[in-house]
Amino acid sequence: MADTNQSGLLTVRLVTPDRVLLDATAEAVELPSMSGYLEALYGHAPLLAELGAGEVRLHGGTSGDQKFFVAWGFVEVLPERVTILAETAMHPNEINVGEAKEELAEGEKLWNEAGDDGEKYDEANAITRQAEEKIASAEGKSH
Amino acid sequence: MANVLDLRRRIRSVKNTRQITKAMKMVSAARLRRAQERALQARPYAQMISNVLESLVRRADQTDVMHPLLVEREEKNVLVLVIAGEKGFAGAFNSNIAKAAQSFINDRRGEGLNVDIETVGRKARDLVAKKYTAAVYEKKEERYDNDLATHYEVIRHRAQPIEVTGDHGTLLQKVDINDVSDLARSIVDRYTRAEIDAVYLVYNEFKSVIAQRVVVEKLLPIRKLGSHEITVAEEMTEEQKEAAGHAAKSAGVSLTTPEESAVESEAKKFGTAEVDYLFDQRPERLFRHLIPRYVTTQIFHALLESVASEHAARMTAMDAATNNAGDMIDAYTLQMNRVRQAAITKEIIEIVSGAAAL
Repeated sequence: MADTNQSGLLTVRLVTPDRVLLDATAEAVELPSMSGYLEALYGHAPLLAELGAGEVRLHGGTSGDQKFFVAWGFVEVLPERVTILAETAMHPNEINVGEAKEELAEGEKLWNEAGDDGEKYDEANAITRQAEEKIASAEGKSH
Repeated sequence: MANVLDLRRRIRSVKNTRQITKAMKMVSAARLRRAQERALQARPYAQMISNVLESLVRRADQTDVMHPLLVEREEKNVLVLVIAGEKGFAGAFNSNIAKAAQSFINDRRGEGLNVDIETVGRKARDLVAKKYTAAVYEKKEERYDNDLATHYEVIRHRAQPIEVTGDHGTLLQKVDINDVSDLARSIVDRYTRAEIDAVYLVYNEFKSVIAQRVVVEKLLPIRKLGSHEITVAEEMTEEQKEAAGHAAKSAGVSLTTPEESAVESEAKKFGTAEVDYLFDQRPERLFRHLIPRYVTTQIFHALLESVASEHAARMTAMDAATNNAGDMIDAYTLQMNRVRQAAITKEIIEIVSGAAAL
Protein backbone atom coordinates (compact mmCIF):
# COMPACT_ATOMS: atom_id res chain seq x y z
CA MET A 1 0.00 0.00 0.00
CA ALA A 2 1.54 3.30 -1.12
CA ASP A 3 1.49 5.63 1.79
CA THR A 4 3.49 8.56 3.04
CA ASN A 5 3.80 6.86 6.38
CA GLN A 6 6.71 4.48 5.87
CA SER A 7 7.11 3.53 9.48
CA GLY A 8 4.78 0.56 9.22
CA LEU A 9 3.11 1.57 12.44
CA LEU A 10 -0.60 1.74 13.01
CA THR A 11 -2.16 4.70 14.71
CA VAL A 12 -4.44 3.32 17.38
CA ARG A 13 -7.19 5.29 19.03
CA LEU A 14 -9.44 4.07 21.78
CA VAL A 15 -12.47 6.29 22.16
CA THR A 16 -15.06 6.01 24.92
CA PRO A 17 -18.22 8.05 25.37
CA ASP A 18 -16.34 10.08 27.98
CA ARG A 19 -13.07 10.80 26.25
CA VAL A 20 -10.28 9.64 24.00
CA LEU A 21 -8.59 7.11 26.25
CA LEU A 22 -5.65 6.22 24.08
CA ASP A 23 -3.90 7.73 21.11
CA ALA A 24 -0.79 5.74 20.31
CA THR A 25 1.03 3.73 17.69
CA ALA A 26 1.58 0.01 17.46
CA GLU A 27 2.87 -2.66 15.14
CA ALA A 28 -0.07 -4.92 15.78
CA VAL A 29 -3.37 -4.72 17.60
CA GLU A 30 -5.46 -7.57 18.89
CA LEU A 31 -9.15 -6.85 18.97
CA PRO A 32 -11.96 -8.78 20.65
CA SER A 33 -14.58 -8.74 17.93
CA MET A 34 -18.04 -10.21 18.36
CA SER A 35 -17.02 -13.32 16.48
CA GLY A 36 -13.64 -13.80 18.16
CA TYR A 37 -10.26 -12.15 18.44
CA LEU A 38 -8.73 -10.64 15.35
CA GLU A 39 -5.36 -9.06 14.84
CA ALA A 40 -4.69 -6.06 12.69
CA LEU A 41 -1.30 -5.23 11.22
CA TYR A 42 -0.20 -2.30 9.14
CA GLY A 43 -1.86 -2.42 5.74
CA HIS A 44 -4.90 -4.39 6.83
CA ALA A 45 -7.86 -4.15 4.48
CA PRO A 46 -10.59 -1.76 5.59
CA LEU A 47 -12.81 -3.50 8.08
CA LEU A 48 -15.74 -2.59 10.25
CA ALA A 49 -16.53 -4.93 13.11
CA GLU A 50 -18.56 -5.05 16.24
CA LEU A 51 -16.66 -5.39 19.49
CA GLY A 52 -17.51 -7.96 22.09
CA ALA A 53 -16.03 -8.03 25.55
CA GLY A 54 -12.35 -8.71 26.04
CA GLU A 55 -8.93 -7.17 25.82
CA VAL A 56 -7.47 -4.86 23.26
CA ARG A 57 -3.74 -5.53 23.10
CA LEU A 58 -1.18 -3.31 21.48
CA HIS A 59 2.14 -4.78 20.45
CA GLY A 60 5.30 -2.93 19.53
CA GLY A 61 5.06 0.73 18.73
CA THR A 62 6.45 3.71 20.55
CA SER A 63 4.48 3.26 23.72
CA GLY A 64 5.32 -0.41 24.16
CA ASP A 65 2.82 -3.15 24.84
CA GLN A 66 -0.45 -2.05 26.36
CA LYS A 67 -3.64 -3.79 27.35
CA PHE A 68 -7.12 -2.45 27.83
CA PHE A 69 -10.31 -4.12 28.83
CA VAL A 70 -13.13 -3.12 26.51
CA ALA A 71 -16.75 -4.09 26.16
CA TRP A 72 -19.28 -3.42 23.42
CA GLY A 73 -18.69 -1.05 20.64
CA PHE A 74 -17.28 -0.88 17.15
CA VAL A 75 -13.95 -0.89 15.50
CA GLU A 76 -12.84 0.55 12.22
CA VAL A 77 -9.64 -0.79 10.72
CA LEU A 78 -8.00 1.16 7.93
CA PRO A 79 -4.60 0.32 6.42
CA GLU A 80 -2.76 2.79 8.64
CA ARG A 81 -5.23 3.41 11.42
CA VAL A 82 -7.35 1.53 13.92
CA THR A 83 -10.13 3.33 15.74
CA ILE A 84 -11.91 1.55 18.54
CA LEU A 85 -15.21 2.84 19.82
CA ALA A 86 -15.91 1.19 23.13
CA GLU A 87 -18.80 1.75 25.49
CA THR A 88 -16.67 0.59 28.40
CA ALA A 89 -12.90 0.71 28.42
CA MET A 90 -10.43 0.57 31.25
CA HIS A 91 -7.00 -0.53 32.27
CA PRO A 92 -6.93 -4.12 33.58
CA ASN A 93 -5.65 -2.96 36.96
CA GLU A 94 -8.56 -0.54 37.28
CA ILE A 95 -10.99 -3.44 37.31
CA ASN A 96 -12.77 -4.07 40.56
CA VAL A 97 -12.94 -7.87 40.72
CA GLY A 98 -15.49 -7.90 43.53
CA GLU A 99 -17.80 -5.72 41.48
CA ALA A 100 -17.28 -7.91 38.43
CA LYS A 101 -18.23 -10.97 40.42
CA GLU A 102 -21.41 -9.25 41.51
CA GLU A 103 -22.17 -8.49 37.89
CA LEU A 104 -21.57 -12.11 37.04
CA ALA A 105 -24.06 -13.21 39.69
CA GLU A 106 -26.52 -10.62 38.41
CA GLY A 107 -26.13 -11.94 34.85
CA GLU A 108 -26.76 -15.48 35.98
CA LYS A 109 -29.80 -14.40 37.92
CA LEU A 110 -31.19 -12.61 34.86
CA TRP A 111 -30.51 -15.71 32.80
CA ASN A 112 -32.57 -17.81 35.18
CA GLU A 113 -35.40 -15.31 35.12
CA ALA A 114 -35.44 -14.77 31.38
CA GLY A 115 -38.10 -17.41 30.80
CA ASP A 116 -39.00 -17.64 27.14
CA ASP A 117 -37.91 -14.13 26.23
CA GLY A 118 -35.08 -14.39 23.71
CA GLU A 119 -33.97 -10.79 24.13
CA LYS A 120 -33.63 -11.16 27.85
CA TYR A 121 -31.42 -14.18 27.29
CA ASP A 122 -29.21 -12.18 25.01
CA GLU A 123 -28.97 -9.42 27.56
CA ALA A 124 -28.19 -11.84 30.37
CA ASN A 125 -25.54 -13.51 28.23
CA ALA A 126 -23.99 -10.16 27.41
CA ILE A 127 -23.73 -9.23 31.08
CA THR A 128 -22.31 -12.60 32.01
CA ARG A 129 -19.75 -12.53 29.25
CA GLN A 130 -18.63 -9.02 30.09
CA ALA A 131 -18.22 -9.95 33.74
CA GLU A 132 -16.29 -13.11 32.92
CA GLU A 133 -13.96 -11.29 30.56
CA LYS A 134 -13.49 -8.57 33.12
CA ILE A 135 -12.41 -11.05 35.77
CA ALA A 136 -10.13 -12.85 33.34
CA SER A 137 -8.56 -9.58 32.27
CA ALA A 138 -8.01 -8.43 35.84
CA GLU A 139 -6.32 -11.70 36.70
CA GLY A 140 -4.23 -11.56 33.56
CA LYS A 141 -5.67 -14.80 32.23
CA SER A 142 -7.51 -13.45 29.25
CA HIS A 143 -7.01 -15.49 26.10
CA MET B 1 -34.97 57.42 60.13
CA ALA B 2 -32.54 54.60 60.75
CA ASN B 3 -29.59 55.45 62.91
CA VAL B 4 -25.95 55.05 62.02
CA LEU B 5 -25.55 51.86 63.97
CA ASP B 6 -28.43 50.14 62.16
CA LEU B 7 -27.07 51.15 58.80
CA ARG B 8 -23.59 49.98 59.65
CA ARG B 9 -24.98 46.64 60.70
CA ARG B 10 -26.90 46.32 57.49
CA ILE B 11 -23.87 47.17 55.39
CA ARG B 12 -21.89 44.49 57.14
CA SER B 13 -24.61 41.94 56.42
CA VAL B 14 -24.79 42.84 52.73
CA LYS B 15 -21.01 42.63 52.54
CA ASN B 16 -21.18 39.09 53.87
CA THR B 17 -23.81 38.20 51.31
CA ARG B 18 -21.62 39.64 48.60
CA GLN B 19 -18.75 37.45 49.69
CA ILE B 20 -20.92 34.38 49.50
CA THR B 21 -22.35 35.16 46.08
CA LYS B 22 -18.88 35.95 44.81
CA ALA B 23 -17.57 32.63 46.06
CA MET B 24 -20.52 30.83 44.48
CA LYS B 25 -19.80 32.56 41.22
CA MET B 26 -16.19 31.44 41.22
CA VAL B 27 -17.17 27.88 42.11
CA SER B 28 -19.69 27.81 39.28
CA ALA B 29 -17.10 29.19 36.89
CA ALA B 30 -14.71 26.38 37.80
CA ARG B 31 -17.43 23.76 37.43
CA LEU B 32 -18.49 25.28 34.14
CA ARG B 33 -14.97 24.98 32.80
CA ARG B 34 -14.87 21.34 33.78
CA ALA B 35 -18.32 20.66 32.31
CA GLN B 36 -17.33 22.35 29.08
CA GLU B 37 -14.20 20.26 28.89
CA ARG B 38 -16.20 17.11 29.44
CA ALA B 39 -18.76 17.95 26.81
CA LEU B 40 -15.89 18.55 24.42
CA GLN B 41 -14.20 15.25 25.16
CA ALA B 42 -17.43 13.39 24.61
CA ARG B 43 -17.80 14.74 21.11
CA PRO B 44 -15.55 12.38 19.10
CA TYR B 45 -17.47 9.31 20.24
CA ALA B 46 -20.85 10.79 19.38
CA GLN B 47 -19.55 11.94 16.05
CA MET B 48 -18.12 8.53 15.21
CA ILE B 49 -21.26 6.64 16.18
CA SER B 50 -23.42 8.76 13.95
CA ASN B 51 -20.85 8.47 11.13
CA VAL B 52 -20.79 4.70 11.22
CA LEU B 53 -24.56 4.68 11.20
CA GLU B 54 -24.74 6.97 8.23
CA SER B 55 -22.24 5.00 6.26
CA LEU B 56 -24.06 1.78 7.05
CA VAL B 57 -27.32 3.24 5.88
CA ARG B 58 -25.68 4.29 2.65
CA ARG B 59 -24.22 0.87 2.04
CA ALA B 60 -26.96 -1.40 3.18
CA ASP B 61 -29.95 -2.22 1.10
CA GLN B 62 -32.74 0.16 2.08
CA THR B 63 -35.21 -2.59 2.77
CA ASP B 64 -32.83 -4.22 5.20
CA VAL B 65 -32.30 -1.22 7.41
CA MET B 66 -35.83 -0.93 8.65
CA HIS B 67 -35.45 -0.58 12.35
CA PRO B 68 -38.27 -0.08 14.84
CA LEU B 69 -36.73 3.20 15.94
CA LEU B 70 -36.95 4.63 12.45
CA VAL B 71 -40.61 3.81 12.05
CA GLU B 72 -42.89 6.79 12.30
CA ARG B 73 -46.28 6.18 13.80
CA GLU B 74 -49.15 8.49 14.38
CA GLU B 75 -48.44 10.26 17.67
CA LYS B 76 -50.89 9.17 20.32
CA ASN B 77 -48.67 8.73 23.35
CA VAL B 78 -45.73 11.03 23.72
CA LEU B 79 -42.88 10.79 26.17
CA VAL B 80 -41.12 13.93 27.24
CA LEU B 81 -37.83 13.84 29.12
CA VAL B 82 -37.40 17.05 31.08
CA ILE B 83 -33.82 17.84 32.07
CA ALA B 84 -33.48 20.58 34.66
CA GLY B 85 -31.05 21.39 37.45
CA GLU B 86 -30.29 19.84 40.76
CA LYS B 87 -30.15 23.09 42.73
CA GLY B 88 -31.55 26.58 42.66
CA PHE B 89 -29.66 29.90 42.65
CA ALA B 90 -29.34 29.66 38.92
CA GLY B 91 -31.41 32.59 37.75
CA ALA B 92 -34.11 31.66 35.27
CA PHE B 93 -32.48 28.34 34.37
CA ASN B 94 -35.03 26.06 36.00
CA SER B 95 -38.05 28.26 35.40
CA ASN B 96 -37.25 28.50 31.69
CA ILE B 97 -37.19 24.72 31.46
CA ALA B 98 -40.40 24.57 33.44
CA LYS B 99 -42.07 27.03 31.10
CA ALA B 100 -40.96 25.18 27.98
CA ALA B 101 -41.99 21.80 29.39
CA GLN B 102 -45.35 23.10 30.52
CA SER B 103 -46.20 24.68 27.21
CA PHE B 104 -45.12 21.50 25.43
CA ILE B 105 -47.38 19.41 27.65
CA ASN B 106 -50.29 21.83 27.23
CA ASP B 107 -49.90 21.83 23.45
CA ARG B 108 -49.92 18.04 23.25
CA ARG B 109 -52.87 17.86 25.60
CA GLY B 110 -54.64 20.39 23.39
CA GLU B 111 -54.23 17.98 20.49
CA GLY B 112 -55.72 15.22 22.61
CA LEU B 113 -52.51 13.23 23.04
CA ASN B 114 -51.41 11.34 26.10
CA VAL B 115 -48.20 12.58 27.64
CA ASP B 116 -45.74 10.62 29.76
CA ILE B 117 -43.25 12.68 31.70
CA GLU B 118 -39.83 11.62 32.90
CA THR B 119 -37.67 13.97 34.82
CA VAL B 120 -33.95 14.37 35.37
CA GLY B 121 -32.83 16.58 38.23
CA ARG B 122 -34.52 17.52 41.46
CA LYS B 123 -35.97 20.76 40.14
CA ALA B 124 -37.71 18.98 37.30
CA ARG B 125 -39.17 16.44 39.68
CA ASP B 126 -40.48 19.14 42.01
CA LEU B 127 -42.10 20.74 39.04
CA VAL B 128 -44.23 17.81 37.98
CA ALA B 129 -44.57 15.75 41.15
CA LYS B 130 -47.32 17.91 42.62
CA LYS B 131 -49.26 18.42 39.43
CA TYR B 132 -49.38 14.99 37.88
CA THR B 133 -49.85 11.50 39.18
CA ALA B 134 -47.36 8.71 38.84
CA ALA B 135 -48.01 5.91 36.39
CA VAL B 136 -49.30 2.65 37.82
CA TYR B 137 -47.58 -0.60 36.99
CA GLU B 138 -48.65 -4.10 37.75
CA LYS B 139 -46.07 -6.80 38.08
CA LYS B 140 -47.22 -10.18 36.93
CA GLU B 141 -45.39 -13.29 37.86
CA GLU B 142 -45.90 -16.57 36.09
CA ARG B 143 -44.31 -19.77 37.19
CA TYR B 144 -44.03 -22.78 35.01
CA ASP B 145 -41.95 -25.91 34.45
CA ASN B 146 -42.79 -27.06 37.96
CA ASP B 147 -41.73 -23.75 39.44
CA LEU B 148 -38.28 -23.99 37.90
CA ALA B 149 -38.69 -20.92 35.79
CA THR B 150 -40.41 -17.65 36.37
CA HIS B 151 -41.65 -15.22 33.81
CA TYR B 152 -42.09 -11.59 34.81
CA GLU B 153 -44.24 -9.16 33.01
CA VAL B 154 -44.89 -5.56 33.91
CA ILE B 155 -48.16 -4.15 32.73
CA ARG B 156 -48.95 -0.49 32.64
CA HIS B 157 -52.43 0.76 33.39
CA ARG B 158 -52.92 4.25 32.13
CA ALA B 159 -55.38 6.11 34.32
CA GLN B 160 -54.65 9.75 33.47
CA PRO B 161 -53.84 11.42 30.16
CA ILE B 162 -50.74 12.92 31.74
CA GLU B 163 -48.63 10.68 33.94
CA VAL B 164 -45.15 10.70 35.40
CA THR B 165 -43.39 7.50 34.41
CA GLY B 166 -40.11 8.02 36.17
CA ASP B 167 -37.53 10.22 37.76
CA HIS B 168 -33.78 10.03 37.35
CA GLY B 169 -32.68 12.14 40.24
CA THR B 170 -29.14 10.94 40.56
CA LEU B 171 -28.28 11.03 36.89
CA LEU B 172 -27.01 14.60 36.96
CA GLN B 173 -24.58 14.13 39.81
CA LYS B 174 -22.13 12.13 37.78
CA VAL B 175 -23.58 11.74 34.28
CA ASP B 176 -22.27 8.22 33.90
CA ILE B 177 -22.66 6.58 30.49
CA ASN B 178 -23.86 3.30 31.98
CA ASP B 179 -26.72 5.01 33.79
CA VAL B 180 -27.63 6.92 30.66
CA SER B 181 -27.50 3.69 28.73
CA ASP B 182 -30.02 2.11 31.11
CA LEU B 183 -32.35 5.03 30.64
CA ALA B 184 -31.95 4.89 26.86
CA ARG B 185 -32.66 1.18 26.84
CA SER B 186 -35.84 1.64 28.81
CA ILE B 187 -36.98 4.36 26.42
CA VAL B 188 -36.10 2.29 23.35
CA ASP B 189 -37.98 -0.66 24.82
CA ARG B 190 -41.10 1.36 25.35
CA TYR B 191 -40.89 2.79 21.86
CA THR B 192 -40.44 -0.64 20.32
CA ARG B 193 -43.41 -1.97 22.28
CA ALA B 194 -45.42 1.01 20.97
CA GLU B 195 -46.21 2.16 24.49
CA ILE B 196 -45.02 5.54 23.25
CA ASP B 197 -44.98 6.90 19.71
CA ALA B 198 -42.54 9.75 20.01
CA VAL B 199 -39.89 10.92 22.45
CA TYR B 200 -38.90 14.51 23.07
CA LEU B 201 -36.19 16.06 25.20
CA VAL B 202 -36.56 19.43 26.90
CA TYR B 203 -33.19 20.80 27.96
CA ASN B 204 -30.80 23.71 27.92
CA GLU B 205 -28.49 23.60 24.96
CA PHE B 206 -25.03 24.98 25.52
CA LYS B 207 -22.88 26.34 22.73
CA SER B 208 -20.95 28.87 24.76
CA VAL B 209 -21.55 31.12 27.76
CA ILE B 210 -23.35 33.66 25.62
CA ALA B 211 -25.07 31.19 23.32
CA GLN B 212 -27.47 28.98 25.22
CA ARG B 213 -31.07 28.19 24.56
CA VAL B 214 -33.92 26.09 25.87
CA VAL B 215 -34.80 23.55 23.23
CA VAL B 216 -37.37 20.86 22.64
CA GLU B 217 -35.64 18.15 20.64
CA LYS B 218 -37.21 15.15 18.99
CA LEU B 219 -35.30 12.03 19.96
CA LEU B 220 -37.47 9.31 18.46
CA PRO B 221 -38.39 8.34 15.82
CA ILE B 222 -35.02 9.05 14.22
CA ARG B 223 -35.67 10.87 11.02
CA LYS B 224 -32.23 12.02 10.04
CA LEU B 225 -29.08 10.62 11.53
CA GLY B 226 -26.48 12.89 13.01
CA SER B 227 -28.69 15.94 13.24
CA HIS B 228 -30.63 17.37 16.12
CA GLU B 229 -34.24 17.87 15.30
CA ILE B 230 -35.20 20.94 17.29
CA THR B 231 -38.89 21.67 17.35
CA VAL B 232 -38.95 24.65 19.71
CA ALA B 233 -36.09 26.90 20.75
CA GLU B 234 -36.00 29.80 23.14
CA GLU B 235 -32.95 31.99 22.49
CA MET B 236 -31.27 34.26 25.02
CA THR B 237 -32.17 37.93 24.95
CA GLU B 238 -29.52 40.58 24.30
CA GLU B 239 -29.74 41.62 27.92
CA GLN B 240 -29.10 38.09 29.16
CA LYS B 241 -26.19 37.73 26.78
CA GLU B 242 -24.65 40.90 28.13
CA ALA B 243 -25.06 39.77 31.72
CA ALA B 244 -23.58 36.36 30.90
CA GLY B 245 -20.71 37.98 29.03
CA HIS B 246 -19.93 40.19 32.01
CA ALA B 247 -20.01 37.28 34.40
CA ALA B 248 -17.76 35.16 32.22
CA LYS B 249 -15.25 37.94 31.81
CA SER B 250 -14.95 38.64 35.51
CA ALA B 251 -14.67 34.91 36.28
CA GLY B 252 -12.11 34.30 33.57
CA VAL B 253 -14.18 31.92 31.45
CA SER B 254 -13.68 32.13 27.72
CA LEU B 255 -16.67 33.21 25.67
CA THR B 256 -15.84 31.43 22.48
CA THR B 257 -16.38 27.79 21.76
CA PRO B 258 -13.02 26.05 21.67
CA GLU B 259 -11.74 25.03 18.28
CA GLU B 260 -12.06 21.45 17.32
CA SER B 261 -9.11 19.24 18.09
CA ALA B 262 -7.26 17.04 15.63
CA VAL B 263 -8.97 13.96 17.01
CA GLU B 264 -12.32 15.56 16.54
CA SER B 265 -11.77 16.52 12.95
CA GLU B 266 -10.56 13.00 12.31
CA ALA B 267 -13.61 11.69 14.11
CA LYS B 268 -15.67 13.31 11.41
CA LYS B 269 -14.00 11.07 8.86
CA PHE B 270 -14.52 7.92 10.90
CA GLY B 271 -16.23 5.16 8.97
CA THR B 272 -16.67 7.32 5.91
CA ALA B 273 -13.56 6.38 3.93
CA GLU B 274 -14.47 5.74 0.33
CA VAL B 275 -13.40 2.14 0.41
CA ASP B 276 -15.24 -1.10 0.52
CA TYR B 277 -15.16 -2.22 4.09
CA LEU B 278 -15.09 -5.82 5.05
CA PHE B 279 -17.83 -6.41 7.55
CA ASP B 280 -17.24 -8.73 10.41
CA GLN B 281 -20.98 -9.13 10.75
CA ARG B 282 -23.75 -8.38 8.35
CA PRO B 283 -24.26 -4.62 8.06
CA GLU B 284 -27.88 -4.97 9.11
CA ARG B 285 -26.83 -6.60 12.33
CA LEU B 286 -24.28 -3.90 13.05
CA PHE B 287 -26.93 -1.37 12.32
CA ARG B 288 -29.41 -2.93 14.71
CA HIS B 289 -26.89 -2.82 17.51
CA LEU B 290 -25.74 0.68 16.78
CA ILE B 291 -29.10 2.39 16.87
CA PRO B 292 -29.71 2.07 20.64
CA ARG B 293 -26.18 3.32 21.29
CA TYR B 294 -26.89 6.27 19.10
CA VAL B 295 -29.92 7.11 21.24
CA THR B 296 -27.74 6.80 24.34
CA THR B 297 -25.18 9.25 23.03
CA GLN B 298 -27.92 11.71 22.12
CA ILE B 299 -29.25 11.71 25.69
CA PHE B 300 -25.72 11.76 27.09
CA HIS B 301 -24.96 14.79 24.99
CA ALA B 302 -28.11 16.58 26.17
CA LEU B 303 -27.22 15.88 29.81
CA LEU B 304 -23.68 17.19 29.48
CA GLU B 305 -24.89 20.33 27.77
CA SER B 306 -27.54 20.86 30.38
CA VAL B 307 -24.98 20.54 33.18
CA ALA B 308 -22.69 23.09 31.52
CA SER B 309 -25.66 25.35 30.99
CA GLU B 310 -26.70 25.12 34.61
CA HIS B 311 -23.28 26.17 35.83
CA ALA B 312 -23.20 29.02 33.34
CA ALA B 313 -26.62 30.19 34.48
CA ARG B 314 -25.57 30.03 38.13
CA MET B 315 -22.39 31.91 37.41
CA THR B 316 -24.35 34.67 35.66
CA ALA B 317 -26.96 34.84 38.41
CA MET B 318 -24.33 35.02 41.12
CA ASP B 319 -22.42 37.68 39.23
CA ALA B 320 -25.58 39.77 39.05
CA ALA B 321 -26.19 39.19 42.75
CA THR B 322 -22.64 40.27 43.57
CA ASN B 323 -23.10 43.46 41.56
CA ASN B 324 -26.42 44.18 43.20
CA ALA B 325 -24.88 43.71 46.62
CA GLY B 326 -22.17 46.22 45.65
CA ASP B 327 -24.80 48.75 44.59
CA MET B 328 -26.68 48.21 47.82
CA ILE B 329 -23.55 48.77 49.90
CA ASP B 330 -22.91 52.03 48.04
CA ALA B 331 -26.46 53.21 48.63
CA TYR B 332 -26.37 52.32 52.32
CA THR B 333 -22.97 53.94 52.79
CA LEU B 334 -24.29 57.14 51.26
CA GLN B 335 -27.35 57.04 53.47
CA MET B 336 -25.24 56.33 56.52
CA ASN B 337 -22.98 59.28 55.82
CA ARG B 338 -26.01 61.52 55.37
CA VAL B 339 -27.51 60.42 58.66
CA ARG B 340 -24.22 60.97 60.44
CA GLN B 341 -23.81 64.40 58.89
CA ALA B 342 -27.39 65.31 59.84
CA ALA B 343 -26.68 64.34 63.43
CA ILE B 344 -23.52 66.47 63.48
CA THR B 345 -25.32 69.43 61.95
CA LYS B 346 -28.12 69.09 64.46
CA GLU B 347 -25.66 69.07 67.33
CA ILE B 348 -23.87 72.17 66.04
CA ILE B 349 -27.18 74.00 65.66
CA GLU B 350 -28.06 73.07 69.21
CA ILE B 351 -24.74 74.30 70.54
CA VAL B 352 -24.88 77.50 68.51
CA SER B 353 -28.45 78.30 69.50
CA GLY B 354 -27.67 77.41 73.11
CA ALA B 355 -24.72 79.85 73.04
CA ALA B 356 -26.88 82.51 71.44
CA ALA B 357 -29.46 82.17 74.19
CA LEU B 358 -26.93 82.93 76.88
